[in-house]
Amino acid sequence: MSKAEAKPENQFEPKIIAFLCNWCTYAGADLAGTGRKEYQANVRIIKLPCTGGIDPLFLIKAFERGADGILVSGCHPGDCHYNSGNYHARRRWNVFRPLLEFCGINPDRIQFSWISAAEGGKWVETINGIVDAVRELGPFESYQKLNTIGPETSGGAADASSETG
Amino acid sequence: MIEELRKKAEELLKNGTVKVVFGYGEGSVPERTRPVFITKPEDVNKLTWNKYCVYNLTTYLKRQETRKLGKPALILKGCDARTIIVLLKECQIKREDVYIIGVTCDGVGDPLAEKCKACDVHTPLIYDDLVGEKRENKEVPFEERYAELDEYEKLEEKDKWEFWQKQFEKCIKCYACSNICPLCFCDRCIVEKNQPQWIDPSAHPRGNLSWNVTRAYHLAGRCINCEECQRVCPVDIPLNLLNKKLAKEAEKSFDYRPGYNIDDELAMSTYKEDDDEDFFK
Amino acid sequence: MSKKIGVFVCHCGTNISATVDVEKVAEEAKKNNPGVSYTTTYKYMCSDPGQKLLRDKIKEEGLDGVVVAACSPKMHEHTFRNASKKAGMNPYHVEISNLREQCSWVHPDKPTGTEKSVDLVRMMTEKTRKDKSLNPIKVPVTKRALVIGGGIAGIQAALDIADAGHEVIMVEREASIGGHMAQLSETFPTLDCSQCIMTPKMVELAQNENITLYTWSEIEAVDGYLGNFDVKIRKKARSVDLDLCTGCSSCWQVCPSKKIKSEFDMGLGKRTAIYIPFPQAIPSKPVLDREHCLLFKDARKKNIPPNDSKVCRKCLDICPIAPVKAIDYTQEDEIITEKIGAIVVATGYKELDDISMYGEYGGGKYKDVITGLQFERLASASGPSEGEIQRPSDGKVPEIIVFIQCVGSRDPAKGCSYCSKTCCMYTAKHTMLYKHKVHHGHAYVFYIDIRCPGKGYEEFSLRAIEEEGATYLRGRVSRVYKKGDKLVVLGADTLTGSVVEIEADMVVLASAMKAQDDAEKFAQKLSIQYDKDKFFSEIHPKLKPVESSSAGIFLAGTCQGPKDIPETVAQAGAAASKVLALLSADELEREPVVAKVDRLPAPIFSTCIGCFYCQRVCPYGAIESEDIKARDGSTIKTVARVNEGLCQGCGLCAATCRSKSVELAGFNDEQVYAEINSVEFN
Ligand SMILES: Cc1cc2nc3c(=O)[nH]c(=O)nc-3n(C[C@H](O)[C@H](O)[C@H](O)COP(=O)(O)OP(=O)(O)OC[C@H]3O[C@@H](n4cnc5c(N)ncnc54)[C@H](O)[C@@H]3O)c2cc1C
Ligand code: SF4
Ligand code: SF4
Ligand code: SF4
Ligand code: SF4
Ligand code: SF4
Repeated sequence: MSKAEAKPENQFEPKIIAFLCNWCTYAGADLAGTGRKEYQANVRIIKLPCTGGIDPLFLIKAFERGADGILVSGCHPGDCHYNSGNYHARRRWNVFRPLLEFCGINPDRIQFSWISAAEGGKWVETINGIVDAVRELGPFESYQKLNTIGPETSGGAADASSETG
Repeated sequence: MIEELRKKAEELLKNGTVKVVFGYGEGSVPERTRPVFITKPEDVNKLTWNKYCVYNLTTYLKRQETRKLGKPALILKGCDARTIIVLLKECQIKREDVYIIGVTCDGVGDPLAEKCKACDVHTPLIYDDLVGEKRENKEVPFEERYAELDEYEKLEEKDKWEFWQKQFEKCIKCYACSNICPLCFCDRCIVEKNQPQWIDPSAHPRGNLSWNVTRAYHLAGRCINCEECQRVCPVDIPLNLLNKKLAKEAEKSFDYRPGYNIDDELAMSTYKEDDDEDFFK
Repeated sequence: MSKKIGVFVCHCGTNISATVDVEKVAEEAKKNNPGVSYTTTYKYMCSDPGQKLLRDKIKEEGLDGVVVAACSPKMHEHTFRNASKKAGMNPYHVEISNLREQCSWVHPDKPTGTEKSVDLVRMMTEKTRKDKSLNPIKVPVTKRALVIGGGIAGIQAALDIADAGHEVIMVEREASIGGHMAQLSETFPTLDCSQCIMTPKMVELAQNENITLYTWSEIEAVDGYLGNFDVKIRKKARSVDLDLCTGCSSCWQVCPSKKIKSEFDMGLGKRTAIYIPFPQAIPSKPVLDREHCLLFKDARKKNIPPNDSKVCRKCLDICPIAPVKAIDYTQEDEIITEKIGAIVVATGYKELDDISMYGEYGGGKYKDVITGLQFERLASASGPSEGEIQRPSDGKVPEIIVFIQCVGSRDPAKGCSYCSKTCCMYTAKHTMLYKHKVHHGHAYVFYIDIRCPGKGYEEFSLRAIEEEGATYLRGRVSRVYKKGDKLVVLGADTLTGSVVEIEADMVVLASAMKAQDDAEKFAQKLSIQYDKDKFFSEIHPKLKPVESSSAGIFLAGTCQGPKDIPETVAQAGAAASKVLALLSADELEREPVVAKVDRLPAPIFSTCIGCFYCQRVCPYGAIESEDIKARDGSTIKTVARVNEGLCQGCGLCAATCRSKSVELAGFNDEQVYAEINSVEFN
């Protein structure tokens, strides 16, 4: 799949942003490197100390900027370097993911995984998996096409609270 | 009931328990009410109570103008009183700094407000005084409470997207929704942060999506479903659907409903080791 | 304001350059990027000449930001930050683009790898632009250690630290130090007398000028952090003034309440109400047991202050100390606070003593079914029978004795699932001690496995069988019942496949080593973690075996899991050396990757609204609340504040704060935003 020569012309190459924790998944990705495990080149990693430090705003921003897919990955439950960071993160995604889905964003565009520092193989599979899945979905055009020019009517900030009925 | 309310208000103002009473007054037409802030015992006749008392007066707890008036007594329906529990838990008020005149309520709005259809707090869960006859708080089944969402959850992905884009497109970023929300009490809302500017202040579809999703997410596990945000939105975006969707997820995944229990752990600041992770790879 | 950034692209020999066009990466870094004022490529950036190149260019080009596009930051971020620091640039203005692990080694197609590399460099360049100068956080170190628990582990650790010249405070909750080792008769594998090696150490500790000993005391609270703990110690009312008392023994000799079961003798001996736990106790000064003292009993019954009771004041009367007696019935608990730099937890274990759980072995039913520690007391020359093995019921010397191993251990149903590690050895020891004392007697041992891995251990246990003639039977005991004055032990010998029935005079249960009953509560006080069996957890079972989950708190001995004395002492020494390393510095330097809640000029003061979500999620309790006060002292606003000493830089607070009023240095909002924003999308 990832072999250059096997790549069809004009194949859509999605851009995936991966938010990783420093201790597990980032190290897992390093291990994939050390093991010379080949995978698709579509991912851009943003490293944070802990998945617990990933604000959903980061994900929204990544989509807003044009990402076709997002991966969030950190230490397996029980292995967090900061004891409980990944548990808090998991809670967030438990509500945030359905919210995006409710708004019509395909959940395959946002994936979550636990990849340890020893799981270089799992890193490769995960990346190939999300790249293939998002390629299948195609570019996130519906989002990217949303225009960034607003109507002229910017005034009229209404505090319509004074009366109700 | 109105008389009882007025008497209570008068008593509290007279004996100095509170400096001001936040209540409902008559509006310009009989089908409307407006918030009134009674500071003098002789003004208590301005207070009223009827099925048009839709809004949630706890929002005035966050406003400088009304805070300045001194210790308040608030006239609160069961749903509004849930806000107090959240505010207490989130350290925004101290119990001794507010006096709660709870009112029992059979539903407001004409037609009946959506929030009242599955009400299980006809009698407030927290109050100092209760006005009106005590009602039984019967729990409404989960499915029924979130029935409003069904038709939207069933939509195809594309239709969901289109539906919401049509809605968000209209947003003029007036922030009436967050201004009215009693739980949007940040001194500086994330939209006002400009270094960096996570959310574009000008109204355009791409930024509007970010804003609406973020606002809703910020209320996850907190929103008590007073429907005020939706009520004030000048362009009628059905914000309740988003709020409710999050409430549903929080309840489903964490067995949590905000504003019911002063001793619980806030849903978004705790975790369980066995929280759902089926969606993890 | 805007930085002058230098980009250094490393070939890593050919590790990077074989599949990434490094020249192109360097070129692209400069293109359309006015912030980048210098780019170069180099064969090995991490080599000495590579580092020199970095240092030289920082100076020559006046760089105040550096991106090194090389291997994983885990390899050389430190190297390049140090080099930059030497060149006078703030080390936190250095970012690493990970071209080797993330591109060249995993994407063999050169154009693809190059394209991605260009992206990665741009992301880091943009992040660097937003990097703030950070300086290591310096925390002063209080050069004093606290050792909790005065068993052999605590004693060893305290002596090691004190001998290196540091102050030590030892807190022991019993009236004397010594712990379990003081109770043992002889110790395997050498069979040397436990008291003989223990007592000198206890005396040494008492006499060491660097050590302050608080016995009959417990930890009330631990606050603060590595280098700066505030420890509250509760000195329980002893009713004896240790400064005045000379330990003359008059009081415990006259005390009329003589029938109290001695804890030290595991209930086999008796003690008085005012007592020293054992003759070699340190301090050798008594404690008054208020529960059993006649005076206190009377006062409780009549509901009067103890001093008003006249039932018995014999100890006070006889106390020869003048003018103020050393005994004081009105003494109350006292709480003292000590500043501490590092802590050793050495609170030991507890023998499974509720043997009534094992009714099938006669546990709790028959007086002559005893535990391992009880046997130690019987065999001890200072024990209740002065070292003669006598059965508790009638004092008869047992001619046939049965030892049952693994009582409570390896028994997930009733006891614990783990192996207590010492029982095989101490049972072998017991058979020998028995044989040495009762030459004509015979010892049987029921075992499941014999586990003797340790220097001289296998030989020791073989000696029990071969030289001392103990009969080892592999199998479980199904029942112990009384027949006349005998205990009939019914068991299986799985090796011969037969049922054995032994008419014994005494049965000894090798009961498990368990965590202390209060381990969980104690751990919570110190914010350290514990495992499913309530033993305290080390952070890494192999590489950090003495470090607890809280920085500056170390574990020694059996509080961390069952072990014997040699292992306990080794671990105590290791914990002590960790403490010494900490105390050797005047200041600790910490990575400045910590969170900070914003502070702004009046009238805003901070955008924080004081919802304290951050406090609730912080795994380290690093978030405090601060009242912002007006001139008149009234509170304007209550906001969050991060305690830099405690913060470990996880960023949970930052992601939880809705208004983004708290940010993590090194990963602040602007940096993350810049990274996201700089990715080139289609
Ligand atoms: C029957 C038996 C026989 C054994 N025989 C041998 C042998 O022959 N050879 C050998 O090598 N090992 C032997 N062992 C093992 C040996 O007892 C232990 O390895 C050793 O005593 C452990 O020492 P420690 O300091 O870790 O714990 P402990 O001896 O338990 O000391 C802990 C100390 O901490 C104090 N403490 C507890 N909690 C607190 C608190 N919260 N605050 C303040 N103080 C507290 C206790 O009072 C105690 O003084 C035997 C064990 C048993 C059960
Ligand atoms: S989000 Fe809307 S419904 Fe929820 S508490 Fe705020 S104003 Fe009420
Ligand atoms: S939308 Fe979010 S940041 Fe803004 S006021 Fe509400 S909770 Fe605060
Ligand atoms: S009130 Fe409506 S229009 Fe105004 S910001 Fe909120 S959603 Fe947008
Ligand atoms: S920093 Fe944020 S989360 Fe913490 S108390 Fe302040 S507003 Fe709340
Ligand atoms: S960064 Fe982590 S450790 Fe530091 S204050 Fe925030 S939550 Fe606590």
